[in-house]
Amino acid sequence: MFEGLRQKLNQFKKTVTNKEHELDDAEVEASSNDAARLAEGPQETAGETYTPPAVHDDEAVGVSRSAESATQREVPGEATRTTSGRSLFEREIKEKDLEEPLWDLEIALLESDVAMSVSEEIVDTVKKELIGTKRKWRQDVGALVEQALRDGILKVLDVNSLDFDELVKKAPKPVTIVFTGINGTGKTTTIAKLAYRLKNQGYAVVLAAGDTYRAGALEQIERHADNLGVKLIKHQQGADPAAVIYDAVQYARAKHKDVVLADTAGRIHTNVNLMNQLKKIERVIDADLVVFVDEALAGNDAVERALQFNTAMAIDGSILTKVDADSKGGTAISIAHATNKPILFLGLGQKYDDIVKFNPQWLLNRLFGEAET
Amino acid sequence: MVMENLGSSLRDTLKKIARANRIDEKTLNEVVKDIQRALLSADVNVALVQQLSKRIKDRALKEELSGKLNPRQHVINIVYQELVALLGEPISVLLTRHTVIMVGLQGSGKTTTTAKLARFFQKKGLKAAVICADTYRPGAYDQLSQLCERIGVAFYGESESSDAVEITTRGLAELKRYDVILVDTAGRHALETDLVLEMEAINETSKADQRFLVLDSGIGQQASEQAKAFNEAIGLTGVIVTKLDGTAKGGGALSAVAEVGTGIAFIGMGETIDDLEKFEPDRFISRLLGMGDMKTLVEMIEEEPPIEMEEAEAMLKGEFTLKDMYKQMDAIRKMGPLTKIVQMLPLGSLGVDIPNGALQSTKETLERFKVVMDSMTGEELEHPRIIRSSRIKRIARGSGVTSDYVRELLKYHKAMQRAMKGVRSQKEMQKFLRKQGVK
Repeated sequence: MFEGLRQKLNQFKKTVTNKEHELDDAEVEASSNDAARLAEGPQETAGETYTPPAVHDDEAVGVSRSAESATQREVPGEATRTTSGRSLFEREIKEKDLEEPLWDLEIALLESDVAMSVSEEIVDTVKKELIGTKRKWRQDVGALVEQALRDGILKVLDVNSLDFDELVKKAPKPVTIVFTGINGTGKTTTIAKLAYRLKNQGYAVVLAAGDTYRAGALEQIERHADNLGVKLIKHQQGADPAAVIYDAVQYARAKHKDVVLADTAGRIHTNVNLMNQLKKIERVIDADLVVFVDEALAGNDAVERALQFNTAMAIDGSILTKVDADSKGGTAISIAHATNKPILFLGLGQKYDDIVKFNPQWLLNRLFGEAET
Repeated sequence: MVMENLGSSLRDTLKKIARANRIDEKTLNEVVKDIQRALLSADVNVALVQQLSKRIKDRALKEELSGKLNPRQHVINIVYQELVALLGEPISVLLTRHTVIMVGLQGSGKTTTTAKLARFFQKKGLKAAVICADTYRPGAYDQLSQLCERIGVAFYGESESSDAVEITTRGLAELKRYDVILVDTAGRHALETDLVLEMEAINETSKADQRFLVLDSGIGQQASEQAKAFNEAIGLTGVIVTKLDGTAKGGGALSAVAEVGTGIAFIGMGETIDDLEKFEPDRFISRLLGMGDMKTLVEMIEEEPPIEMEEAEAMLKGEFTLKDMYKQMDAIRKMGPLTKIVQMLPLGSLGVDIPNGALQSTKETLERFKVVMDSMTGEELEHPRIIRSSRIKRIARGSGVTSDYVRELLKYHKAMQRAMKGVRSQKEMQKFLRKQGVK
């Protein structure tokens, strides 16, 4: 499922490691020239052909090198200088060494549906981390890159972490949660799943039929409320969604219910009037949590949408749906980056219990392959 | 943000080539990289982008530069040709008796599109009917029956049954006398084996002549894989791309049709029943690359008279009527949200920055102008000169604005008319745009 990134990363590790070993070897060759000569016997044409020094015994040495790559090496003499604080066995990673492999890595992120702008930023962080790093000679560069990449992604995913269960537990009742997002991402289905989850945890749940626009939306949420046996507050089609949600909160207050899950109509973020409607809901309803729902299938546009929705009504966290459709999961990174808020849950199917809490480590493990954690 | 600058970055690089009198590999690499970035951030499949950029590079270096093309036009032409080849021929709809099945992932907009398509056939004078074969999503039956009721299209569905194949059989028998029967199915993805089998069964039962995949314009790298699976199951005859009124570029749709080897039939541009439009490859490619001048450029290259030559001539002669202006505004509206269009216009490369607020007001102005023009008679639109105070009063009443507002519109039209008269060369056009932009 996640071969793309794993493969590319391994490839990247290999390329960089080889390159670095090449450089190392060049150093060693130059610095321990005499020793090497003593050990290996006379070289045919110095600097042109390469003979592995005896000190190397790991797999990187076995990689064949052409005469061409040997000539591309840096001037050996430079590395032997110890005056500028650089010890004999330290080497700096240079930008040009990383250019190609980093682009490959970026492609791998794009293949996993991380948006272009976000991929670029993550790869940039990795680059900055690595360039100028004084690396102990023979330390595994691949591991260094993976760590940098993991840190970069984790930094994006682990923002303002928020425990949904804790929040529902601690916040004064009723806890009001409003769901937003574009059309067809699965807001209503997600609300039903969460209602099921919260009900099983012992909370009294009220649903608000805030999608008063789409044909069949009322019937859809009504069906769910019936199936789950939870109260639904609704008005007729075309009613003001802010009023519906307000009524639901009033009802919950009067009847001592614990949680209000408020649906809204899907809207395209370029529609100014509909985005203003969200602003009105924000003014009228003092929501404890605004949850942005988007699908794991979304590509680059996920960033733009998240930004626009966040502007209309500040998002506290997001839920990623349709993760079961073989998506790579990179959308989670895009959305977390755009909103600067955590991913709360993942939707994994059409059944009520197909929802799991999001754990950044989960995504990382899938991206990099469990074996490497 | 990086993404928004892609179009202008591409233009800048292309400009660089324009100055060179031959294409060297280094500059070409830069351009290809920019094109790659534009396509990747438009959600075109990564593998496809890599193939494409290799082909573009090979062709640009190999093919002789013909005398009339500068290197920039040469490269653009190749990019354009390659993208057009991937998009395939736009799918034309049948206007005879036939059956259509609508399939797609959850939430891609199948049901809304089914109703829009029924409306389309209805407007073409065909008797359309719809079958609801979605027995999974709660409310699907109600949604489709309500939509059909609104437009007065026959509907068949069974709210209590859970057998979509049987519903289809009974529906087809029931609706025998209709010209076009549309079968809406539940959303599903490639890994849901049971649902894929169900779709195959519905397809066999319906013997559908057209098998449309409805695809969200925002879909990312999964597009080709999913399209492939749908195609293997039922053999798609076309793709309908939805939600293009947003900011998604629709590269997923390109990847899907390239994978399946079919074309795009329609695009969805909004939530109301009439927001379904014919697919136009040129506009789609412009949007994909974030460049507005693709079509014009290519036309210049091919030296073919553009279709709207007469209109263009009329504009240049100063016979720019209100009707022309209306058409122009409509064309602008259809290209997508205005903020995005402005990025496509050559303003960016001129270094003109337009504040966001100004754009919003421009959009609203355009929309209100359209409303006002809708209250005019055909004669008034053709000959704005006849509009005097009593006509102004009537138009204002009809469109719910003040008389001053109507006068403002007429003034704007005069200014546009003058500007059009002035447009003799592209240089002047740029000057004009600069003036407009700075204001």
